[in-house]
Amino acid sequence: MDDVATKIIDILKKNMKEPTDSIALETPLTDLDIESLDLAVIVFDIEDTFGIEIPYNANEEVEDFATVGSVVDKVKAIMSENKSPGAAA
Amino acid sequence: MAKPRDRRRVVVTGQGVVSAIGTGQEAFWNALKSGECGIGEATLYSTDELYITIDGEVKNFDARELGLSKQFLLSDRYSQFAGCAAVEAVNQSGLEMPLKGDEALRTACIIGSGIGGVTTMEMSYRMLFEEKKRATHPLTLLKTIGSSAAAHVSIEYGITGPCFGVVSACSTAPHSIGLVYQMIQSGLCDKGIGGASEASLNWGTAKAWQAMRVLSPDGLFPFCKGRNGTVLSEGAAILVLEEYEHARERGAKILAELVGFGMTSDAADMVNPSLEGTSTAMQLALDDAGLAPGDIDYINAHGTATTANDINETRAIRRVFGKAADDVSISATKSMHGHCLGAGGGVEAVGVIMAMEEGIVPPTIGFDEPDPECDLDYTPNKARKREITYAMSNSFAFGGLNAVLVFGPAPA
Repeated sequence: MDDVATKIIDILKKNMKEPTDSIALETPLTDLDIESLDLAVIVFDIEDTFGIEIPYNANEEVEDFATVGSVVDKVKAIMSENKSPGAAA
Repeated sequence: MAKPRDRRRVVVTGQGVVSAIGTGQEAFWNALKSGECGIGEATLYSTDELYITIDGEVKNFDARELGLSKQFLLSDRYSQFAGCAAVEAVNQSGLEMPLKGDEALRTACIIGSGIGGVTTMEMSYRMLFEEKKRATHPLTLLKTIGSSAAAHVSIEYGITGPCFGVVSACSTAPHSIGLVYQMIQSGLCDKGIGGASEASLNWGTAKAWQAMRVLSPDGLFPFCKGRNGTVLSEGAAILVLEEYEHARERGAKILAELVGFGMTSDAADMVNPSLEGTSTAMQLALDDAGLAPGDIDYINAHGTATTANDINETRAIRRVFGKAADDVSISATKSMHGHCLGAGGGVEAVGVIMAMEEGIVPPTIGFDEPDPECDLDYTPNKARKREITYAMSNSFAFGGLNAVLVFGPAPA
């Protein structure tokens, strides 16, 4: 598991009532007892950690937040968008 | 329809409103019934570093032009809204002000706010932390406290009885109005001013709401399939409530009777509403009114356009109303005036009273495709004519704090 994934799993654990060590990329977030308000806190933490902005809306079903792996992919995608020229617009 | 008459009855003899679709009940009602939207790009603060850039602002509000007294000119915008709505309500009631002696002592003034003078607070922090000023403005504290609107209004009218602010997020107004109702019913007071005000639109508040991830970037579409969150707005609403005989003896025009009030707490979750708490609040309000669900013609729904609220509220209405749920007209007028937080249930109560008076159900606007899980009659897009004898107004706040009001016609 790479650095981004490790950091994201650490953030998930920090926000879980009973953190478990058995979090894999394919683990669905719903298995981690994470609710909408927890997700807002987790997204905030991720944004802070990676210096990015994630357009997350608690009212929408977003595939990006289905599994741990999909969150990792989303974060990586935003990070690479930010690096590409013209991304500031 | 057997209403218990062994207690003092409480009627509405005045109302005032400040909202994103109009200040004053006439402007407000005209906008409400014609389906006008008061939501647009934010202008009261910089939208730099915000990705939610819309809100529902009260337009062209000038306390001086509106003729408010000097004490209001020096107060926070939230107190000015309350003052403006109170002046309208008191003028309509025809009560002689300022009050004196025993009459003043037997009058309540309960005006709440979800958050109080938070814009004053933000400006003061800016002065201290950013501009490194040596002191805050001397009135910072008095402008900020959440009881200042109630205090200002009591000073304006010489009200010397119970006076304070109520805080229950988006149920603040119905809790305030409900308390005044109970004070009159119990005999503690003969009349009172009840309502709430909110003017929390500023950069910091917008940031805080944005971080919660519950705001829509493009509009407030209650009960729709494509709804994607709520929209912050501001406003105020004040009702003058009076014991029925007191109002009748002085020949006051009675706008409506407040017949029922129910309140519960979910005691479950800060953001996810519970079916139990919300439906019980509605049931308690009906019980208090001595009405059956089939007696209710119109429900002004809480309808915040969040995923969680709208489904839960639909289920709660089905649970309480049973078969009658399919016959009741429902609308979520937040689609027009936005979610004015603590003031919301008050602004909606004014809408309910005017709907009863005119026999018109205001619409839920922006309603395109219904959510299959929200399967009631939400009066989509166009107002509808309907005789409204009894109407309900729902408020379900963050924290699971629920308050429901039921209004009926003036006693015959």
